[in-house]
Amino acid sequence: MSDVFSNEAPDSAVRLAIERVKAEQSVSDLEGLELGTVIVNMGPQHPSTHGVLRLVVTLDGEVIRDVIPVIGYLHRCKEKLAERRTYFQYIPIPDRTEYVAGMNCEWGYVLTVEKLAGIPVTRRAEFIRVIMAELNRIASHLVAIGTFVADLAPLGTAMAFYTFRDRERILDLLEAASGARMMFNYFRFGGVRYDLPDGWVEKCREFLDYFPPKIVEYENLVNDNAIFLQRTLGKGVLTQEDVKEYAITGPNARASGVKHDLRRTRPYSVYPELDFEIPVGTHGDVYDRYQVRIAEMRESVKIVRQALDMLPKGPVQLGTLRPPYVITPPPGACYTAQENPRGEYGTYIVSDGSRYPYRLKYRDPCFVNLQVFPKLLKGVKIADAIAISGSMDLVLGGIDR
Amino acid sequence: MARVMDHYPKLERFEHPNIVTTTADLVFNWARSRSIFPFTYGIACCAIEMLSSGFARFDIARFGWEVFRPTPRQCDLMIVAGTVNEKMAPVLKRLYDQMSEPKWVISMGACATSGGPFYDGYNVVNGVDKIVPVDVYIPGCPPRPEALFHGMLQLQKKIQKMSFVAPRIDEGDELALASLRGEGERAVAPAGQTDGRLPTNAAESQEVQ
Amino acid sequence: MGIEIGAVKLTLDELGTRLQGEFGDDLVDLRVQEPDTLVARVDRHKLHAVAAKLKGLGEIAYDSCNFVAAVDYVTHLETVYHLYSYSTNTYIELHVEIDRDNAVCDTICDIYPAANWHEREAWDMMGVRFEGHPDLRRILLKDDWIGHPLRKDYVDLVENHPNV
Repeated sequence: MSDVFSNEAPDSAVRLAIERVKAEQSVSDLEGLELGTVIVNMGPQHPSTHGVLRLVVTLDGEVIRDVIPVIGYLHRCKEKLAERRTYFQYIPIPDRTEYVAGMNCEWGYVLTVEKLAGIPVTRRAEFIRVIMAELNRIASHLVAIGTFVADLAPLGTAMAFYTFRDRERILDLLEAASGARMMFNYFRFGGVRYDLPDGWVEKCREFLDYFPPKIVEYENLVNDNAIFLQRTLGKGVLTQEDVKEYAITGPNARASGVKHDLRRTRPYSVYPELDFEIPVGTHGDVYDRYQVRIAEMRESVKIVRQALDMLPKGPVQLGTLRPPYVITPPPGACYTAQENPRGEYGTYIVSDGSRYPYRLKYRDPCFVNLQVFPKLLKGVKIADAIAISGSMDLVLGGIDR
Repeated sequence: MARVMDHYPKLERFEHPNIVTTTADLVFNWARSRSIFPFTYGIACCAIEMLSSGFARFDIARFGWEVFRPTPRQCDLMIVAGTVNEKMAPVLKRLYDQMSEPKWVISMGACATSGGPFYDGYNVVNGVDKIVPVDVYIPGCPPRPEALFHGMLQLQKKIQKMSFVAPRIDEGDELALASLRGEGERAVAPAGQTDGRLPTNAAESQEVQ
Repeated sequence: MGIEIGAVKLTLDELGTRLQGEFGDDLVDLRVQEPDTLVARVDRHKLHAVAAKLKGLGEIAYDSCNFVAAVDYVTHLETVYHLYSYSTNTYIELHVEIDRDNAVCDTICDIYPAANWHEREAWDMMGVRFEGHPDLRRILLKDDWIGHPLRKDYVDLVENHPNV
């Protein structure tokens, strides 16, 4: 007997799930389904899907047979908006794609426009950009790790309390420099908006001395916990083949052993002058993804220290008083990408010589990483599925744009 | 099935309350406003600020509101944090309907208030008050956790003005008005149709393709 | 089996000559765009064959699809394919011109699984139908949305907005 507990007609994703079940079992209608097959909706409002992600899950008891991700619940028309805002007016908008890593996303947009228009960046601003981006990388990984561990345990927000405490310190630094806690609107073409305030460098160094023992604290919290290890070791393995086929980038790819980091493979800004390692994992499971993020935080601390030491004096933006407000890049198209905490975040901009971009397309890492979910979650229990999706670190703002 | 509404004082009708209940009001409003159960309805960037307000630095627990529940059935307050778009709107309405009275809505952030920086997007609903009635609007993009607390304290003040005798009922809430008039729900909902609140076995009323 | 990034050291010019030799006429206007991209145009009907060949090029294979974008130039549409080669650490950008009124293109998601959702998005936003795609449904907008928003002549209909 088929029971549908819903007042609405099934939408296209649920219909697709039903079709697939029918095809697999070659039954002509749902009457003949074997007992235990349930098609369930996870989301778009769900405590564990980070953001408004909807997973239409076909379950066989507790084991997932098929997953159809449905996105678009946060589609905010950013690509169309680009055609109605000038290049300068558009700068705050990429912030709101991957909203936990705003500085990196702004950089991804600003890099492309600077390349299209041939705008050079001042040297001091390059170092400030690196510092801000790496601090934001640490903040983003703190959110990722905190919410990931919070997903694993019923009220396991203990880890999240610690990571968010340290994230607040980073946000204080970023707020002192840019004026906002999350949506920074700090990058400009040719530099950054404000120079670092007096005493900022000292405060930043204080934070860099304070932080590495905290990473040890996080590791002490969970790394030896038997339940954590049971839930994360060997789960959700992404092979190197998967990484290649599905174009997965970022810590998810590096956990599988692929040393793909745009700061080294496609260097931009002053990263070639900085000395840091690319942490890689070996097995590509949930535990490795968590470990890679922890290691990346340590590397980011190293990078910020070096950048602070090498920070030259000079202007932080082109032009004497004002940043260039009206930019008309020559006609052409360009794609550049930068290493977001989640992977390769790039923008492909087509310009027709006017003040408005002709076409802006985001290459968002989470959008691409989400495609591997049906393969990754097949045959997995629901509890493990939550752990796996938490470890993939999705931010729906980027997926839906 | 008797609803709680049916037991509300039939002595007084909605339009002409003749009994003034002060102490009862005080007690109930004090309890309601000091222990709101917010609904974790973070859609977008404002959700991260809502999360931050729940953690140690901007401790929401000092106000008594730390019990964020993921299911609307256990919640009083829906904080709509983020942009609502055409795809999300029916979901929002449904979750709002699933909450039980008394319930309040805070629209957090510029997007939920009026569309925010995406006001001219084709897919964006300009303000969540086009879908659900809003009690407090909090501007900001995103509003700081302190701004969220200010908004919630304003909501506290609003709750303290509530009256036990005149229950808060939406204009279009036919079922509630009907029950206050003394008629049961059967008079309002025709056979086979539901309003989204009650689970039904829709096998009879709808065919599954 | 490890993926070595940049194991094959070829300059872009050498790579370009080699690809021109392999593909001949199929890659039109092959040019170098610093720092690490080759750009070429491909005819719509040859796209699938070119993509399959690029994937199977051996040590310089372009093994992953970075993104697929659709652009609306008012006279015609264009799909842009951005493919990445791990071994040479270079990208190749293929531009395919598509008729505007009959916007059909071959899918490459049987060759590059990563292109699946990008093609769905191109269908959703720009109305480019991909022949052979296993599941060409709307991805970001509601299923019953009318129109393809990123087209330059898009008109927003009232039917799309029941909630305003």
